[in-house]
Amino acid sequence: MTPIASVNGTALAVFAVVVGVTLVISYYASKRVHTATDFWAAGRGLTGPQNGFAIAGDYMSAASFLGIAGLIYLFGFDGFLYSVGFLVAFLTVLFLLAERMRNSGKYTIADVLSFRLNEQPARAAAALGTLTVVAFYLIAQMVGAGVLIEGLVGIDFWLSVLLTGAFMITYIILGGMLATSWVQIIKAFLLMTAALVMTVWVLIKIGGNPLDLFRDARAESADGEAYLKPGLFLSTPLDTVSLGLGLVLGTAGLPHILMRFFTVPDAKAARSSVMWAMVLIGAFYVMTTALGFGARAILGQGGEEAAGATGNFALPLLADDLGGELFEAIIAGVAFATILAVVAGLVISASGAVAHDVWSNIVRRGTDSEKEEVWVAKIAAVAIGAIAIVIAVLGGKDLNVSFMVGLAFAVAASANFPALLLALTWRRFNTTGAVTGVLLGVISSVALVIISPTVWPGPNSEGGLFSFYDLANPGIISIPLGFIGCWLGTVLSRERVEERTFDELYVRSETGLGAEAGTGLTLTGRSDGAGSADAPRELAGTGR
Amino acid sequence: MAKTEGARAAGADHHPEIDWRAAERSPEFRELVKRKRAFVVPATIFFLAWYFGFVILAGYAPDFMGREFLTDGLTVGYVLALSQFVMTWVLGAWYMRKADREFDPLAARAAEVALRAGREAEGRSR
Repeated sequence: MTPIASVNGTALAVFAVVVGVTLVISYYASKRVHTATDFWAAGRGLTGPQNGFAIAGDYMSAASFLGIAGLIYLFGFDGFLYSVGFLVAFLTVLFLLAERMRNSGKYTIADVLSFRLNEQPARAAAALGTLTVVAFYLIAQMVGAGVLIEGLVGIDFWLSVLLTGAFMITYIILGGMLATSWVQIIKAFLLMTAALVMTVWVLIKIGGNPLDLFRDARAESADGEAYLKPGLFLSTPLDTVSLGLGLVLGTAGLPHILMRFFTVPDAKAARSSVMWAMVLIGAFYVMTTALGFGARAILGQGGEEAAGATGNFALPLLADDLGGELFEAIIAGVAFATILAVVAGLVISASGAVAHDVWSNIVRRGTDSEKEEVWVAKIAAVAIGAIAIVIAVLGGKDLNVSFMVGLAFAVAASANFPALLLALTWRRFNTTGAVTGVLLGVISSVALVIISPTVWPGPNSEGGLFSFYDLANPGIISIPLGFIGCWLGTVLSRERVEERTFDELYVRSETGLGAEAGTGLTLTGRSDGAGSADAPRELAGTGR
Repeated sequence: MAKTEGARAAGADHHPEIDWRAAERSPEFRELVKRKRAFVVPATIFFLAWYFGFVILAGYAPDFMGREFLTDGLTVGYVLALSQFVMTWVLGAWYMRKADREFDPLAARAAEVALRAGREAEGRSR
């Protein structure tokens, strides 16, 4: 019944299938990816629905699948609060950034800032924001992967981390964003199917009435009525609001999500991909909630110890209860695919920040060839992957994963989101403002987490540096600070604004006139005539 | 600040052949921005208000959120949480419809006007 310690042959076989399929895709992709646009933007050839699945695959981590269902199993309502924030966040992305990013960017979020600001400092600031977010998110995912694989398959923690890192690097070196996108699309499909099958199974088992989920779960919880109320996990009201703020604005600053909008041919496909992602992610979170309650109703209090302190193993336990060892192994395999797709997305966005922003445009000042740029990107991917493996192994299983994910969202919301939004919409915004805003956002969110009661003075502590400061989530302070930094830096500096480049960015971001063209790349071949006859693409075609 | 043709690994290409200042001031572009704002600004205020209303109630009024709603087992908190899902989908679908029918044609017109102005200027300078 419990996730066993010795090697589980069935789970290992399912994992091997996942790895085999994704490696075949990467091999196919490797024969087609040639240019930098192929490597970072999959040739801008993905359709809206394909990119919608890929966004869902990039976004729904094992932390959402196993973690949120586990939180709901243990604490009821509060787990659901995360799901709501993760979903509503896509309205921020849809209304404010998705189409504008597609129209104005090239490979990285720094392209958008440096289009109208001073190239070197703007890129350096954006690269800092990207790498900080990716560092926290990636290490959290790698540690989570190690813990899960060790628990589900019985492979040692360090080896699990090493293997996860090795596969992720292989996808990127072979097939860049094309391989990463298809790994994410397949993962999203597997994850949705697994969640649907399990949800239907749970509903049948409890008698078919979804309302019985709530009633049975309440009856099986020691907390009774309180299980269906907020407060069991998030007990500080202001902290709950701060978390909500970080979630709803953080997604719009996650570099690996924003980068996905460069993989579609135009703004229309960009917004339709958000709509697809919202439908998939929303349906997924409704199902995870049902699964969390299902685990409570079916496993009862008996599963609490085996589920672990954060409840991560509640779903595998539920799967075992429903369909035995084989079904548990399949769910574990899906969780593994989930992790691989997310970490690959993170590493490719970091490789863009290192190779395209820092190397090509800061060190080489845009004079190197595309070939060199792609080579540097592959070397960067190996280096970033290796560093993440080492930190995850050294940090070990006891690293607090959920706080690192929260920190990644907080930095994204406090540093990347304000700078991007203001660069696209505020005429007066200047380079000094972008640099101070990003720096203040990064530094304040990291510093506030360090002095918070969950981190100070040691891992999983209950102290805090100052008795008056008891927030675990820094968003409510660090996000306003990020915006204030952008504003203060702008109004206090004497820097002259490039009016003309703002006009260009503004018109381009809203109309798509001059937007970067695709290369016609798909997984099965390369189509001719990526551009059609409409005005924006006609210009992009003649511009080169 | 225009990028040169040889710098292949540089950032997004600038297009100095277009008069962007005139494009930004064209009535077509202004109309696009005005119509888009008229939807996006109120919709953003609405969804943030609905979402933070929910989060603030969850933080500060757990007992209200735990009240029974219509039938045993269903609480106010869950109904409000599910309403967030419905809101996200409805607002998203509404925006998609507006964008397809209203914003895209306006954007195409604004782009066309800017392109035509650019070509005429080029013709005159020859």
